[in-house]
Amino acid sequence: MSYHSRRCLRSLPTITAIVSCLLLALPFYASGQEPVTDSVPADTAVVIEAAPPTTVLSSDHKYDDGDQINLSWVPSIDETLKDSKVIGYKIYRAEDGGEFELLAEIPDVDTTNAYADQEVEHGHKYAYYVASVTETGEYASLETMPLEPEREWLDLNKAYLFIMALIISGAVIIYVETAKRGKELFVRKIAGLEAIDDAVGRATEMGRPVLFIPGIHDMDDVQTLAALTILGRVARTIADYDTKIFMPVSRSLVMTAARETIKSSYQAAGRPDAYNDDMVNYVTDEQFGYVAAVDGIMVREKPATVFLLGAFFAESLILAETGNSVGAIQIAGTARPAQLPFFIAACDFTLIGEELFAASAYLSGEPRQLGSLKGQDVGKAIAMVVIIGGVATATLAGAWQMGFAESIHGWLMEVFSTN
Amino acid sequence: MSTRAKELVALLAIVVLAVIAYIRKVGGAGPIEFSSTMSVVVICLIALSLLWILVLTIKGRLIGRRVVFIYVGVAVSLPLFMSLTQKVSPSPEVIQLYDAITELPEGSKVLISFDYDPPSAPELQPMAESIIRLCMQRDLKVIMMGLWPQGPQQANLAVEKVFEDTAITNKGLKYGVDYVNLGFQTGNEFVIQRMGSSFESMFSTDYEGTPYQELPLVRNVKNFSNIDYSVNLSAGFPGTVEWVQVAVDRYGVQLGAGNTAVQAPQMYVYLDAGQLKGLVGGMSGASEFEDLAEYHGKGTKYMLSQSFAHVVVIAFILIGNVAFFLGGRKSALKGQEP
Amino acid sequence: MDHVSVWLGAFLTLGILSFLYKDNPWYKLCEAIFVGASAGYWVIVLWWDNLVGKFYEGVGDDPALWVGMILGVLMLVRLIPKVGWISRWPLAFIVGATSGFWMMNYLGSNIIEQVGATIMPLLSTQVGAGFDAGVWMILSRLVVFVGTFTGLVYFFFSKEHKGAFGTTARVGIFFIMITFGASFGYTVMSRMSLLIGRIDFILGDWLGLIN
Repeated sequence: MSYHSRRCLRSLPTITAIVSCLLLALPFYASGQEPVTDSVPADTAVVIEAAPPTTVLSSDHKYDDGDQINLSWVPSIDETLKDSKVIGYKIYRAEDGGEFELLAEIPDVDTTNAYADQEVEHGHKYAYYVASVTETGEYASLETMPLEPEREWLDLNKAYLFIMALIISGAVIIYVETAKRGKELFVRKIAGLEAIDDAVGRATEMGRPVLFIPGIHDMDDVQTLAALTILGRVARTIADYDTKIFMPVSRSLVMTAARETIKSSYQAAGRPDAYNDDMVNYVTDEQFGYVAAVDGIMVREKPATVFLLGAFFAESLILAETGNSVGAIQIAGTARPAQLPFFIAACDFTLIGEELFAASAYLSGEPRQLGSLKGQDVGKAIAMVVIIGGVATATLAGAWQMGFAESIHGWLMEVFSTN
Repeated sequence: MSTRAKELVALLAIVVLAVIAYIRKVGGAGPIEFSSTMSVVVICLIALSLLWILVLTIKGRLIGRRVVFIYVGVAVSLPLFMSLTQKVSPSPEVIQLYDAITELPEGSKVLISFDYDPPSAPELQPMAESIIRLCMQRDLKVIMMGLWPQGPQQANLAVEKVFEDTAITNKGLKYGVDYVNLGFQTGNEFVIQRMGSSFESMFSTDYEGTPYQELPLVRNVKNFSNIDYSVNLSAGFPGTVEWVQVAVDRYGVQLGAGNTAVQAPQMYVYLDAGQLKGLVGGMSGASEFEDLAEYHGKGTKYMLSQSFAHVVVIAFILIGNVAFFLGGRKSALKGQEP
Repeated sequence: MDHVSVWLGAFLTLGILSFLYKDNPWYKLCEAIFVGASAGYWVIVLWWDNLVGKFYEGVGDDPALWVGMILGVLMLVRLIPKVGWISRWPLAFIVGATSGFWMMNYLGSNIIEQVGATIMPLLSTQVGAGFDAGVWMILSRLVVFVGTFTGLVYFFFSKEHKGAFGTTARVGIFFIMITFGASFGYTVMSRMSLLIGRIDFILGDWLGLIN
């Protein structure tokens, strides 16, 4: 709360007490905020229908760009009465010492007694008063002290999120650097990877091509990048075995990246002359247009092996079913949980979720990929420890009301919440 | 007759029947509807035929995949002729979304994001129509937008359908005052991020090209803090996940979601964590919402077909497993023969 | 709906469905129309909504859009082999910016919040304030706890799946497969819904046989 608001707050109870006494002792009097009339006959009484709201506080909204001031007030004491005539409140605002203007009208049904003024700017000072409204008039509170909204660089509500990000990112960086220095990082065996060479061999024996589908997302999706890394390995095997490969893609950038990958693999295999740009071709960005085209290719070319690696959506089942119907061996992998059931049902081998990235890291042996995988394992380990600890302390607190368990549980709930 | 000749005859028969049916339709003939008795007879015939297929499978005579396709087609089509209706029991997450809307006071602003295209319309369009109808019935203000290019068109179609109801038309609702379509904006989750500070920066005009400041409904809507409740109708990316991550967790938006049945299972984690305030999943969710809103739209109409199709799929899964296990036994027995 | 659009819609719908019988020239024609029309549609959307709607109409008020335009043009330089290396810069910007944006979103919404939501008491004698003593509630929380923990163990790549760790991972894969089964069931419903929508069009809008 700002200094000015605190000053206002300290003096308000005294003033409110005096005013309340006057209100109770003298039922009829003229409000200081009412418009002054030219002449008021001495024997005419001015009816006051409601008390104004009190304890009007303005405060700067924390962790923003200086574009919000929060207002709160104690509602008119008349609202506690049965026949209250208060039908709402009006908020008035003055900017930089200027005239007060109507800012907002609050209906009586709104019982929050608060208002967020988002039409303020850093660098200007704002003062407010709130008036209780009846059918016949308005009864204003005292004004708040002028307040300038402040800007903050950081949102400290998200401090724990930042710390977690630092821990996980730090772990990734440490492991990447460790891998770069040549230290071997252990990654467990992933089922399905051993099948890649066998699958390509099968295609060679049958004299039928390999079909590689890298999903339908663009190069900004990490699943596509993982698919292209595995493509490098697959293309190398294909170049060694002299098998044909078809790769229809739905993004133009993926087409150029895939061509480069396959070309590098053919060069590494010592067969640059066997490479052909037509191995990779762009179809369309439209999801089901792409699916229709790939289905057609599957049925016409009858590939012996189909790789479905990357980001897939509704087309996953259509592609996997069609591949199954032409008798192809299918190796699939995606990090999209909604599509995994179809791949598991219709494909011979499936890389589930993160196994796709692990496979990519495992096959490429690239320090950055391996280091990222290990760094993520640190995050998972933290999550496992926190879950066990959190459930244990919550259970101890819930069943036996242990004080220390309640404290730890409370702290964990504060840390593991973004709101 | 050769296979090709048979195929051509079948194709010709389909075309002739289609032309006859179309002429009948244009001539003003009404729809065909089975009576309850006829519906029950049809159901019994289908059940008996499935039993017959099971018997054939046990005897070792496996059916082809095309028979399965025909059964699924029949299971989906025939209920559309029947006069039976299916009772639905609203689930807690659908009730949560319904309550969130009905608890809003009159005049509250509801933001609906149409993040889907025509292929997903059979599931999401009934939800859209029910939600818009409910909002208009309760005098809530509706602000529509889309992160998919066809989303705003789907929004207009939903509004047109809702206005076929005279109860809604008689309210004299005005575009720009009671409801507005802000249109499509490219940028995916970055659009939601920018809306957190300024709606106008993302939607300088509405779908028709009217400037933002000339629309009374949204003129004073600066950002999410001026919106009372948001609903996201989503079929993929960008969709509910992005709305939760950006709008809910960064800006504290109260969000309900309507998803295709493919996406719905993934959204339960957000529902359980309190990030979503209500979830309508798939066509069954749409029919439950229609039941709560006391409106019988396409969600309700399609549920019988949905249930029939599921029963047929379950029947063929069982038949397939019988064939699988019997096939395994036969191979084992063959291996044991001297 | 007018006659031409209804017949065209029916022709294309049945043409694509004819693939269920076998690949045929009707399906190939419909596939080609779909692929061509969709490619053309996206060109129009990208032109009018992005280039014209965002850049051409917005650059007067926001000159910073020129940065995006230049980066976008540099991406196309990839097609020229001699200077193709320049396209790595805008690509790095896109990958970096989206990674940075998504990292905090996913960390917050999909990790922090979900870990917090998994922390629940398995037993409780208090009522209210998030603590419940019902049997079904306890069972449900146990399932969530065991499923989440064992699922995390399955996806832990730094340790071989042997011994107690391996057993825990196996429990995890059971939970994962059950989840996939439920997801599969939901998706079957979704696919059936789409089929029902098309059948409704065929029988209702085209042939007028149903209401």
